[in-house]
Amino acid sequence: MTREEKSGRLGGAFLLIGVLLLLFGSYLGLAVAPRERFMGDVQRIMYVHVPTAWNAMLCLTAAFVFAVAYLWKGGWRWDCRLEGALEVGVLLSGLLCVQGSIWARPTWGVWWDWDPRLTTTAVMFFAFLGIIALRSFVDDPAQRATWAAVATIVAYVDVPIVYFSVRWWNSLHQMQSSPATVSPAFYLPLRTNAFGMLFVMAGFITLRARLARRRLAAQLAPPPALTRAAS
Amino acid sequence: MSGVITGGWEYVWAAYGVTAAVLALFALSLWVRWRAASRGEGTAVPEEEW
Repeated sequence: MTREEKSGRLGGAFLLIGVLLLLFGSYLGLAVAPRERFMGDVQRIMYVHVPTAWNAMLCLTAAFVFAVAYLWKGGWRWDCRLEGALEVGVLLSGLLCVQGSIWARPTWGVWWDWDPRLTTTAVMFFAFLGIIALRSFVDDPAQRATWAAVATIVAYVDVPIVYFSVRWWNSLHQMQSSPATVSPAFYLPLRTNAFGMLFVMAGFITLRARLARRRLAAQLAPPPALTRAAS
Repeated sequence: MSGVITGGWEYVWAAYGVTAAVLALFALSLWVRWRAASRGEGTAVPEEEW
């Protein structure tokens, strides 16, 4: 079995497990979990919003690790993984902003507020989106990989700021929950969806990195004329 | 005013619907891009370079 086939099967398996967990977790969140006392049914958005937030930050942390690994050890595999993690991280960050906006409207009365948590999340989204744009502008693969890795390390500074923003500044957004602050009836759908989103994220990164590898291999291949001349 | 939010199922469905649609569309885009990339004749990069 080739490396591509292995990563294809692994990515597919991750996606399948993730989708099944998300379906089960969403069923629990929508039909089984009780209505929250103050936010009512609107609180059920938490079961998709919070797992998306955790996994967006985890995905961008993976991108940071891949960027450091590329600069430290070299090797195209790290650049391909970085490309995958960047795209999935941006996807989840954008989704996070949309979900948050949908939750904000009935609870805060507005679709958006320039609150520290929301603002730093928007900065995170646009910073990593910018790195994807940067990658598309650079033709030389080595230069593209190095620039993207350096830009990822710089942009990653915002990720812990997003996480701690609700502690550091006065924010409309609530603080992080913990088992001490979440009723046991809410644990199961939240954790099931969190693991579901984790598997979906891992599947997407694996499959996107496989695509990056395929494209890079085509780019690094010598032109047909040179191949003929060599033979 | 009680401070309790009533109703709001339309927002719940919107959030779950957007999430499902975004994930499904990304999966579809991965599949389409993979098919397009597979049509080219990419030469494998030597394993040691990975």
